Amino acid sequence: MFKELCQKSFPKSLWVYHCNVGACNGCDIEVIDVLTPYYDAERFGIKLVGSPRHADVLLVCGPVTRQVVPALKRLYDAVPAPKLVIAIGSCAVGGGIWFDSYNVVGGADTILPVDYYIPGCPPRPEAILHGVAVALGLAEKEIESVHLKQLPDRPESVPVEVESS
Amino acid sequence: MNAQQLGQNIEDRFGPDVIDWNVLGPDQLYVTITPESLVEVAEYLYQDQGCRYVINGGTDRRQQRDAFLITHFFAQDEEKIYIAVHTEVEADDPQVDSITPVVPAANWSERETRDMVGVVAVGHPDPRRLVLADDWPEDLYPLRTDVAHDIKPPPAEGVAPERLEPPEGASVVPIGPFFPVLEEPAYFRVFVEGEMVVGADYRGFYNHRGIEKLGCSVLTYNQIPFIAERICGICGYVHSCSYCQTVERAAGIEIPERAEYIRTIVLELERVQSHLLWLGIAAHIIGFDTVLMQTWRMREPLMWLCERITGNRKSYGMNLVGGVRRDIKPEIYDDIRSVIDKIGAEWQELAGAIPGDSTLMARVRGTGILTTETARGLGAAGPTARGSGLAIDVRVDHPYAAYDRLEVTKCVHDSCDNLARVLVRVEETLDAIKILHQALDDMPDGPIMAEIDEELPAGRQAMSAVEAPRGEVFHWVLTGTENRPERWRVRAPTYANLQNVPPMLAGNALADVPISIGSYDPCFSCTERMEVVDVNSGQVRVYTEEEFRAEYDQPGDE
Amino acid sequence: MIASKLKEAILSLRPGRVTLKYPFAPHDPEEDFRGYPELDADKCIGCGGCAAVCPARLIMIQDIDQNTRRIMRLLERCIFCGRCADVCPEDAITMTKRFELSTDSGREDMVAECEVFMATCQRCGRCYEPPTPLDKIMEPGLRHDEIKRGGQDSPYKHISSE
Ligand code: SF4
Ligand code: SF4
Ligand code: SF4
Repeated sequence: MFKELCQKSFPKSLWVYHCNVGACNGCDIEVIDVLTPYYDAERFGIKLVGSPRHADVLLVCGPVTRQVVPALKRLYDAVPAPKLVIAIGSCAVGGGIWFDSYNVVGGADTILPVDYYIPGCPPRPEAILHGVAVALGLAEKEIESVHLKQLPDRPESVPVEVESS
Repeated sequence: MNAQQLGQNIEDRFGPDVIDWNVLGPDQLYVTITPESLVEVAEYLYQDQGCRYVINGGTDRRQQRDAFLITHFFAQDEEKIYIAVHTEVEADDPQVDSITPVVPAANWSERETRDMVGVVAVGHPDPRRLVLADDWPEDLYPLRTDVAHDIKPPPAEGVAPERLEPPEGASVVPIGPFFPVLEEPAYFRVFVEGEMVVGADYRGFYNHRGIEKLGCSVLTYNQIPFIAERICGICGYVHSCSYCQTVERAAGIEIPERAEYIRTIVLELERVQSHLLWLGIAAHIIGFDTVLMQTWRMREPLMWLCERITGNRKSYGMNLVGGVRRDIKPEIYDDIRSVIDKIGAEWQELAGAIPGDSTLMARVRGTGILTTETARGLGAAGPTARGSGLAIDVRVDHPYAAYDRLEVTKCVHDSCDNLARVLVRVEETLDAIKILHQALDDMPDGPIMAEIDEELPAGRQAMSAVEAPRGEVFHWVLTGTENRPERWRVRAPTYANLQNVPPMLAGNALADVPISIGSYDPCFSCTERMEVVDVNSGQVRVYTEEEFRAEYDQPGDE
Repeated sequence: MIASKLKEAILSLRPGRVTLKYPFAPHDPEEDFRGYPELDADKCIGCGGCAAVCPARLIMIQDIDQNTRRIMRLLERCIFCGRCADVCPEDAITMTKRFELSTDSGREDMVAECEVFMATCQRCGRCYEPPTPLDKIMEPGLRHDEIKRGGQDSPYKHISSE
């Protein structure tokens, strides 16, 4: 659904605004790296902009820290609709290694509606490009949840796929 | 003078106020003194002995000793000594005299100790909250042992940080997250008169993630290297090295020589990577994007090389207590050599082009002056200190890993401006390439991990430091039970360097503020970890001119 | 001035075009890259060693009944450190080279769960020999009944509920 909306709303190029909500900088550097010669995301019309009011996409890096919450909400409101939120890095996806710390609220989706997730710590620039390609409908997602089970009546305990989505 | 003599000197001078002192290894001195004498001892070390202030840490020892342990760390670089001054403060009256009036560099860390452990520094000139969120309850101190690591007090509405009042007649230009921007979160308020900056205030610690608390309450010794590495995503390896060294010292573990060389090589690769990155970002700040693109292009093969050596482009995950996890295979020595030689050659060319470029020089020469005295007073570290004529470099002053067997040059410039800080980093990169060659040539064979067959003893302490690309990283560990430290204290270089920003900005034109802040290469995530600060990528964008103007256009909002 | 601008221009032009074709052509990671940690349910004995060392604390061990133990991995917060693969006594976990993990439902797609039949071993934890005492299992009994995900019990309001 979102893919369609995405292709309809952003047929040509995405302007992205990147915000660090408590990241260690690892992800932020990789985001910049995507724009430099070897990866050159500007080929896809992706442009980093300096103000959220110009942006279509919000790239969120890092676990949301307590101090950042009000500012992040204000920032989200400043992005004009329709907007996409992409969570980059394991911190923004699920809170990362700090998920239960007193000053960390959790992944970006505890505060914002997140449309796409790019796990990795930090994700390789290729992984970020792949994530953007998925958001643009240029590529398919390649990951799904895994549920495996050993059965007692098979002595060699062969795993059976019980469910796959 | 060695640590033994310094300890004796302190005892002679302060007599009964010195409760106990001992020396660990050749270079670490631990002194326990009475709370009453703290200020005098600090002044003695700082003024008479020429020590440099490192950081302050507070430990909740109410269970063991019914007291809070307050520790001030100093370094005496000429004599290669680290000094820890311990004071015990009674649990029912958590107050201690502030040493900030005599040692200005203690400013932030005393505020942090109050936030985190609740020991108030009496007589502190600026007792505002530093680390915790604005809506954090007043009397809840996360580092106390009876506070859970995952406590989440309900949020409060409408709280704002306490702010410094601008001087009479000055206007305020806010730079930072509150409106309309949130990039790398840090909040500077710059006070201006016309175009000239007359002062500044800083509210950072947006990236505070409670790393020290996690380390002392839920993680185990061998999990901490990974969280330490994520204190900073650019120069994280220095933190995991420093942490591992500290625990190894405390527990008396000897790591194999090959592991020391591997750590050295990865550290230097990280330094090259970080300096390339920094030059690009600095060029971007002054609007010279060609250099950004070129340095990052030069850097990319190095990232692939790191991925090959360590398994990840950054946050290498190489260290454990006792050694390293992966060997560097002899087959790839030559690949390492060819990658760094190529970077070296291109870097030299680029560096050759800089001095002739008058547009570039106009932006960096003579701007952002940080005098030698201020730098020493506020405890500046790394290239920031060396650009202000302070010849300090942990690799030479307090050698660790394999640096005592390698030839390291201190790159010092004394023009104290942004240019000096650029040149220091340019030379250091070339020096790092030399060190890498030496280390690859001398690398011995052997195991890469020490045998550890017993649990680590509790109640031991050790200090150790590593020279990060941005300056000195300092760790202190007090070992505890349950397979984790009782207290782990970290100081990131930007923690020290950022305190220098307000004095450095004064007297500059507003347009030079971004590059002056950028010249520190601050890394906010480091300082705010629980101290994380190092600025980079995101940071940079906070200060684009566009945003400056956006801020400028809405003067009423402040 | 001109000379140095020229030098800079030459420096920029010399490398030519370096941009990789990715994502239209693959660009594989280096040999020992640590990507998605895959668990071979065939080999796992449910000893819990991986859960003890994981720095992100994302591997949960639950005993469902007398014979079954569930290894639940919330890989959404995995930092790809490879410690679980290092300590596994049965080499059941491999760090694959998969890195293209982006999805539109991170929390669901990154879950990996495995049920192990524990006929012979009843949560003694003895099958796991820690490489050093630093890696020993800290929580005897290994029960994590309540699966914790970052932010679930957060007192903060989601933006959509405001
Ligand atoms: S996901 Fe990893 S690299 Fe990214 S911000 Fe978090 S800890 Fe840093
Ligand atoms: S360490 Fe290996 S065998 Fe043990 S529970 Fe984990 S995957 Fe299974
Ligand atoms: S790779 Fe590291 S973080 Fe991921 S599951 Fe394994 S031990 Fe945990």
